[in-house]
Amino acid sequence: MELKEVLQRWWKVLIVLGVMILVSPVFAWGAEVVGYAEPLENAAEHLGAMEHEYAIISGIFPDYTIPGANPYASTIVAGIVGCLIVLGLGLVIGKALGEK
Amino acid sequence: MHIPDGFLDLWICAVMYIISAVVIGYSARRLKGRLDAPQVPLIGIVAAGIFAAQMLNWPIPGGTSAHFVGGAIAGILLGPYAGCLSMVSVLTIQCLVFGDGGITALGANIFNMAIVDVFVGYWIFKALRRYNQDVSLFLAGWIGIWLGAIAAGVEIGVSSIFAYGLATTVSVMGIWHGALGIIEGVITMLAVRYVLVKQPDLVPIPKEVTV
Repeated sequence: MELKEVLQRWWKVLIVLGVMILVSPVFAWGAEVVGYAEPLENAAEHLGAMEHEYAIISGIFPDYTIPGANPYASTIVAGIVGCLIVLGLGLVIGKALGEK
Repeated sequence: MHIPDGFLDLWICAVMYIISAVVIGYSARRLKGRLDAPQVPLIGIVAAGIFAAQMLNWPIPGGTSAHFVGGAIAGILLGPYAGCLSMVSVLTIQCLVFGDGGITALGANIFNMAIVDVFVGYWIFKALRRYNQDVSLFLAGWIGIWLGAIAAGVEIGVSSIFAYGLATTVSVMGIWHGALGIIEGVITMLAVRYVLVKQPDLVPIPKEVTV
């Protein structure tokens, strides 16, 4: 199945994904308001492991933002780029595995 | 739930890389030349959907937050092997492009979210759907992520950085994700049910899976 066919068949799903990305800054803001911390970070904090965290690869969109740009606006750009890359990689994997 | 660099001892990183590589290789081998035509693009579609869903951090009053993981959904909609590969693509891009999860911990993150969550979710759904499909979907999402979190708790708990605080790490990860996983279970139930009811032609659900 070519990309054009994928777009034709799955356009509704892709629109939903676009909406999710557009609202992601709202969720990011909400997480900031409550003090963003996942259970993993809570465990690390409790046992004094946070200071050992580092990043060998920060990526071109560290923390789903573009360095220097507005964090909420750049989250949308990062989300769109990420979705397209993941979609493309998934299509490549599917193609490589081959049909029956 | 993405473990960063620095949290795991190197031997644990190595072991988790090996285990994950074996499962990924086995999954690819099982799928080679066996995908139905609609399944080929679906691996990418599901992966993109999970990536987008993981960007939505739910703020939980009291100072924590969590995001949907989606391993059970991938396993149920794609089957465990394709679901695993779909999640692997998400986690790998998150690591390399967004710095979400460390490269040294990628094997562990894949094990927790692309193997435990996917396979456990699929197996629970497969075992319980004959009794009640909605309940089986809910439990698949909930228990899948809960066990994935406990696996993460074990991995960091046997690491020297965490002072070998296994009881603490497993408790924190297990209790918190056991609670937050309820949301994962509800989303899993609603999302898969929606697909099965409204768009059954879009997804090559295995023959034994019906509404």
